[in-house]
Amino acid sequence: MPSAGRTARGLTRVPQYVPEEERRSRPPQKKHQRRRRVKYALFSLGNGLDMPLFVFIMVLLAVGLVMLFSASYADSYYREGDSYFYIQRQGKFAAAGVAAMLLISTFDYHRLHKLTPLVMGISVLMLVAVVVFGRMLHIDSIAPPEGVAYRWLNLGVQFQPSEVAKFALILVFAHLISKYSDKMDTFRYGVLPFAGILLLFGGLIFLENHMSGTLIVLALGAVMMFVGGTKPRWFIIGGTALVLLLAAYMTLGGKDEGGEGGVYQMDRIAGWLDPFGEKSEGGGADTWQIQQSLYAIGSGGLLGVGLGQSRQKYLYLPKPQNDFIFAIVCEELGLVGALVIMILFALLIWRGVHVSLHAKDRFGTMLGLGLTFQVGLQAVLNICVVTNTIPNTGISLPFFSSGGTALMMLLGEMGILMNISRSANVEKT
Amino acid sequence: MAKGTAEKIRKKAMGLTAVLIIAGFGAAAVSLFRWQIVRGEELSVKAMEQSLRSTALPAMRGTIYDATGTKVLAQSASVWTVVLEPAYLAENEPMRRTVAAGLSRILELDENELYEETGDASSYYTVVKRKIETNVRDQINQFMLDNGINKGIRLIDDYKRYYPYGTVASNVLGFTGADNQGLEGLESYYDSELSGSTGRLIAAKNAWGTDMPFEYEQVIEADNGHDLVLTIDETVQSILEKYLAQGIEKFNVGNGAVAVAMDVKTGGILGLATKPNYDPNDPFTILDQKLLEQIAELPEDEKEEAENQAQYTQWRNKGVSDTYYPGSVYKMCTGSMGIEEGVITQDSQFTCTGSVKMEGVKDPIHCWNHGGHGTTSFAEGLCNSCNPWFMHISTLLGVNTFCKYRESFGFTEKTGIDLPGESASLYHSEESMLPIDLVIESFGQNFSITPIQMITACAAVANGGYLVRPHVVDRIVDSKGNIVKTADTSYRRQVISEGTSKTLTGILQQNAASGTARGGYVSGYRICGKTGTSEKVAKHAEDLSKPMEYIASYCGFAPAEDPKYAVLVFFDEPDREIATGGNAVAGPIFSAIMQEMLPYLGVEVQYTEDEYDQLGMVAPSVVGMTIEDAQKTLDDQGLYFDVVGDDENWENRVVEQIPESGSMVPKGGTVVLYTSGYSIDDALVEVPDFFGLDLVNASYLAEIYGLQISVNGSRDAGTTVMMQGTSADDKVKQGTVITLTFAEELDTETYVNIEE
Repeated sequence: MPSAGRTARGLTRVPQYVPEEERRSRPPQKKHQRRRRVKYALFSLGNGLDMPLFVFIMVLLAVGLVMLFSASYADSYYREGDSYFYIQRQGKFAAAGVAAMLLISTFDYHRLHKLTPLVMGISVLMLVAVVVFGRMLHIDSIAPPEGVAYRWLNLGVQFQPSEVAKFALILVFAHLISKYSDKMDTFRYGVLPFAGILLLFGGLIFLENHMSGTLIVLALGAVMMFVGGTKPRWFIIGGTALVLLLAAYMTLGGKDEGGEGGVYQMDRIAGWLDPFGEKSEGGGADTWQIQQSLYAIGSGGLLGVGLGQSRQKYLYLPKPQNDFIFAIVCEELGLVGALVIMILFALLIWRGVHVSLHAKDRFGTMLGLGLTFQVGLQAVLNICVVTNTIPNTGISLPFFSSGGTALMMLLGEMGILMNISRSANVEKT
Repeated sequence: MAKGTAEKIRKKAMGLTAVLIIAGFGAAAVSLFRWQIVRGEELSVKAMEQSLRSTALPAMRGTIYDATGTKVLAQSASVWTVVLEPAYLAENEPMRRTVAAGLSRILELDENELYEETGDASSYYTVVKRKIETNVRDQINQFMLDNGINKGIRLIDDYKRYYPYGTVASNVLGFTGADNQGLEGLESYYDSELSGSTGRLIAAKNAWGTDMPFEYEQVIEADNGHDLVLTIDETVQSILEKYLAQGIEKFNVGNGAVAVAMDVKTGGILGLATKPNYDPNDPFTILDQKLLEQIAELPEDEKEEAENQAQYTQWRNKGVSDTYYPGSVYKMCTGSMGIEEGVITQDSQFTCTGSVKMEGVKDPIHCWNHGGHGTTSFAEGLCNSCNPWFMHISTLLGVNTFCKYRESFGFTEKTGIDLPGESASLYHSEESMLPIDLVIESFGQNFSITPIQMITACAAVANGGYLVRPHVVDRIVDSKGNIVKTADTSYRRQVISEGTSKTLTGILQQNAASGTARGGYVSGYRICGKTGTSEKVAKHAEDLSKPMEYIASYCGFAPAEDPKYAVLVFFDEPDREIATGGNAVAGPIFSAIMQEMLPYLGVEVQYTEDEYDQLGMVAPSVVGMTIEDAQKTLDDQGLYFDVVGDDENWENRVVEQIPESGSMVPKGGTVVLYTSGYSIDDALVEVPDFFGLDLVNASYLAEIYGLQISVNGSRDAGTTVMMQGTSADDKVKQGTVITLTFAEELDTETYVNIEE
């Protein structure tokens, strides 16, 4: 069946690694239908568009932008002299991002197979660049530091290579899982290559001193391996090893890093346990941010103080437009508003998983799941940090937190998810 | 198997999704519930606290006016508090230097300390100096302008209290603390009325402490305090204080003194002077020389404690906070009871044998006149201050009636005067009162009352029997001039009838004119009075090795035909070496006060014939005349003359005369004429000390010195000089008239030993 591997874009090469079952389950399509779709792809975005997914994304994005404006205008007024500083940037990126998302949703994700090594290579290179230029050479113009961490790379536009790395990891793992789909229970195929790649990414991000990035990459990798079929015992072994490594790091290592002295994660844990410095003499750990976050959340009560009415954004809560934007959401919209936003995220996750499970092949399933879980994990971890449910670590809230390139990437990834849905057998209204 | 794999993936993916959503969002939701619902209130309060900046807008404290409504006794004026906002300065090293140098120069503060303070980047409010005045404020403003400083130094409005008359009425007025809160006296009693309500400027502030540009600001205007218009008249008050100070000096009084003047009809206090007093502008400085000497003698480690004690002493209002045995002054009350109840009339007879033996008491109770006054009428008994007479009255009255009147006169309750710290009286209750207690209370011993209670009771005797409400504040006026409250001048009750009041007034007038109270007599003013010499029995009992100390008091009112003003003067522990009796010590002071106060208050002079004869006359003006003409003028008026300077040529002109024209000269007295070329050394004489001399000797001494005397008080035999108008050793010109107050030192009290 030479035509079986053809894609919407008319690729002739049949990917060898598309499993038989997926190929068989694909609905029969007539040649002229496919051609027409190719021809009018750009003009028929609505065709095959996953409406629920699109709506959830757009609603989250809209709410996110409104909240970003509300949360940022005071801070940006004082620090940048312009209340619209963040919202203007974010708005532009969001517009471009939505366009990119829609475009990418018509871009057959199978072509990513071919791009996998390239994406991974670039990603690794950028991570290495951050570590080399930042941590080793201290060239701030290329790799500006943020506290003790080196997360950023400045190549004309400033972005976090770890964001790219997350996508690269998802892509590589989806690629490998679909390739080794029936050998996943072996060590050689089901563990070794994954563990290697995971260690490479995790290690590099760890060297950036980017703890939350490391954790998310590890978690994402683990989730994909687990779903992909790696034997559970390896998670126990890997998990134990990781915990031991972490324990060792926290107690012994890292003291010479960053120049700020000590392993800051210990402080974060102390601050988590005692956010108001009530339990220890002398105020305990520096918990200003989490304390102000809780003041904001507490002020919100059930129904919130009203949109735009936050007091905590007036320089009390540091960088209210970034990782702690959800605290301002809680303050302004209250418990009810916060729950609604969590439900929106849950709906998006549910839809993402649903789409992924109905993808026409294993690659699509794993890719979709990876992307969905990335968004889900970030949202859950961010909200848990902001509410002091877990120790403070720098994770941004998808669709909400300020950060143009990150938003573009996110929307691009959502485009891929939409494409998976587009080419799968899912009801789309 | 392939099918199975897909199914496994589905299950695992669904499972993980469920875990992520339920566990992740679930945990977050639980947290949110905890923070927003359970602890929401608490956290939002904390958030509010850190984000609201409330700036106090001080209210201007009300002014205190005297009875004339024009003299300001206490007033607030704008001052400023200098505050640093180091957060704006900390980063700017040269600015810190400039600010520290400038402020240290203007405010006279340590430059290094100021420099340190400017470095505290976390502070937006560091008080540098309080209560700076307008000129200093202007200097700071100029300094900020010159150096282009617009942030980092702030001047905050405040008020400072001024007392233009210094020590006058200090113990009534009180003073205020650093935060303008009333601490003593009226400032404390009427603090809420005077202070008004502090306004607030509530502004939302961001974490940098600056106002939020588009947030709300709420101003609650300060409500300025009400003004007080007192019944106290600055002139009367000053008169009281002047003579009180003289008395203290003359009689070397050990434990302070009180003088109260009251309008007997309204209960308004015209003056309430106490010693020691202080300057409310500087309340912590001890003014009293005696207290200072006592402190100076103490060892170093006890000084601070003693200083604090002395401060409390000088702040204390003895008139309302101290209690004392009223002594014989109380006899006016006991007498009133007897007349009112009809058990005696003013002509009733009683025989005083000099002592009374009470059953169950070892020693008989003596009259101050141990020989006894013999058979006298009640009027004579009161004028003699005869103790057995009043013991007799109390026995006739019985415990119940006596106690009923005692209560009715207000001796068992506080007067309710609008001053802080009024003491309660101490007395035997009706149930516990034994016959011995009754007879001793009848002449004012063994129960303690406040001076203000005594004068209130005296006012009732004077005004027709009505017990008034003593008060210091006549009315409270708000900052717009509306009267908020006026004093209640209604009577509390009628204690005795108008008839009884008239009878007592007559006897008391007689007493002041020729009785034991003649030390308080003032020519022309129909004075009624009663002396009191109270033994400080309790103090004596503490340490029997020390001699008994006394409180010498005089309580009276005038004019007799329509009593208007009552005055009580009391000296606590006059020097035993000089005099201790109420008539001798308090009488002349009372007399001097009345003599100056009554004309000011517009009480008309009415001389009796006797008084008129002894009256001085107004010296005619002879300055500019030749000696000859002057001599003629004086001769026409029955006056003699004397010449200082060139008296050879009678054509010489008089350049000066003593007494000056218009001032008083005794009838048949001398006017000294000064001619050109007189030497000031020849003219000046040193005033001798007349104290203790009788009229004959005093006149003789005055003549020797080339001075003249004017007699005050009683001219009766046995009276001696208690006060002189010009202090001994002062230098005055020849011919000057020295006012001498004569009184009699009578030991009118007897220690009562009531041991069985």
